[in-house]
Amino acid sequence: MEKISQRDAFWDRIYEIAKQDKDVVLVIADMGAPALDKFKIELSAQYIDVGIAEQQGVAVASGLVLSGKKAFVYAIAPFIALRCYEHTRVNLASMNLPVTLVGVGAGVSYDDSGPTHHAVDDLSVLRILPNLKIYNATDSVMAKAFADMSCKLDHPNYVRLDRKVLPTIYDKNTDFSTGITELASGSDVCIVATGNMVHRALHVSEDLKKNGIKAGVVDVYMFPINEDLFVNKVKDAAQIVTLEEHTLPGGLGSAVCEVLCDNQLLKPVKRIGMNFKTGYCYKYGGRDNIQSLYGLDKKSIVQAIMSQLKESYVCKK
Amino acid sequence: MTVNGKNIRELQQKASEIRKVLLDMCCEARTGHVTSAFSSVEILVALYHGGILRYDPKNPSWEGRDRFIMSKGQASVLLYPILADVGYFPKEDIGGFCKAEGKFGVHLQHSVPGAEITSGSLGMGFGIATGIALAAKLNSELHMVYALLGDAECYEGSIWEAAMFANHNKLNNLVAIVDRNYLGVTNFTENMLQLEPLEEKWKSFGWNAVSIDGHSFEEILGVLKGVRSRQSSRPLVVIAKSVKGKGVSFMCDKPLWHGVPPTSEEDVHSAKAELQYL
Repeated sequence: MEKISQRDAFWDRIYEIAKQDKDVVLVIADMGAPALDKFKIELSAQYIDVGIAEQQGVAVASGLVLSGKKAFVYAIAPFIALRCYEHTRVNLASMNLPVTLVGVGAGVSYDDSGPTHHAVDDLSVLRILPNLKIYNATDSVMAKAFADMSCKLDHPNYVRLDRKVLPTIYDKNTDFSTGITELASGSDVCIVATGNMVHRALHVSEDLKKNGIKAGVVDVYMFPINEDLFVNKVKDAAQIVTLEEHTLPGGLGSAVCEVLCDNQLLKPVKRIGMNFKTGYCYKYGGRDNIQSLYGLDKKSIVQAIMSQLKESYVCKK
Repeated sequence: MTVNGKNIRELQQKASEIRKVLLDMCCEARTGHVTSAFSSVEILVALYHGGILRYDPKNPSWEGRDRFIMSKGQASVLLYPILADVGYFPKEDIGGFCKAEGKFGVHLQHSVPGAEITSGSLGMGFGIATGIALAAKLNSELHMVYALLGDAECYEGSIWEAAMFANHNKLNNLVAIVDRNYLGVTNFTENMLQLEPLEEKWKSFGWNAVSIDGHSFEEILGVLKGVRSRQSSRPLVVIAKSVKGKGVSFMCDKPLWHGVPPTSEEDVHSAKAELQYL
């Protein structure tokens, strides 16, 4: 598959679906994409721009879905997640309306735009809503699959897309319905990652291997976590490390700890993510720089895991 | 004047009946926004009994039904007796209001037969109404969408996002009725944060706007009867000037009566006595 952004993979597919299904309607908060330009011209009746008014976008989509439409609301991730949070809570979660929220800019992919544009706490607040599912894309193949899956849902969902073009790691025939994929196996430590950090986890796993450590990699791309499958995937690992470009409270690491705790699968867990104890990220110089400053570069993660394994070993003795 | 087989006097009697049922319901449950509901009674009676809304209680999901959106969610206690009265569910269910075995509470939930949405957080139902009205246009459906808004609900910015959207999309199948009782929770609107000139605000957003007496069936029906065939591409807002607590004089225009029914024996007696003579 040619290199394509998650955004374009998703919207290209929605465009193809919408050509066949007049009930597919986009509610756009003044956003662009090549597929959306085609949509706007060729399927203008199915293209509703609400302006920069995300709350109204969710409200309109709710009304459309109540009238039998399949509605997608598109905005920058922190805005679709946070600005209209109560509309999502009341209209979508409490009424269980199958509206799909689509947010672009997962993590700090809007790097130098600053904290207003960073989606670093959206998972925490959205994953607690009843009925709503989160689909967090790892690559563009998955993003395209999410487009098909979103058209068949009977509940609300939030599709979280990275802004950058990331490498493709999945085969186009992959079944993403389970929400979890084991990408590498290893008994010393299992790195559980989500979104762009899955790519980092694979590289970290290779480096750990050079140090004699067998590290597995599990990609969690749906929330709530598929508990049975997750437990099955991590039960044999000596330790677990969670990895996310997202704040630690309430994010992937928290979700993993909840599953482990509820299933009485108690083993050492280290959460690696963004620490905002001193405030949100006002750092610039690109995504790589921000990742390094927050310990999310490959070298820092390898060191953190090595240190974790060593400490646990000392503790055990 | 006769409307849908009922004359104005009959509608007034229906409004009186509804007030009594509503008061009994809230007094028994010792909760409910009685005064917020009382200011909207004539509006809802006109909609459901005055030949304005098209609906079928035997088929609540009938696609051709007009949609009534209770954006002013705190007035939901008014909707229950009306929906029961027209046959959406047995009148005995009213007795379950806010009880463990009951089917509905202070604020509307979408599972109530005849209800379209969950409501209670202000500024949200109206936006949904714009989406439903747009869907009707997209589907070439001829039903109308009526949304009841509280005047203090118009403080919410989302109301104006929706108002702008409705005008831009020429949603002339949408009617907003603003219950203009001049009161929020703790204060009069013009003391708290000025809403006036409210009609001009709506007009400046591109709406056709008209102000009426919200307790006069003649005026309510006068503006709503021809709405389905009116010659305008614009949505319509009806600013219905009303009295919060209308029907029970000692509860009228008193912020302290927001969200609570009479509970003392004396107050309950006084309220019921007054309603008997309406």
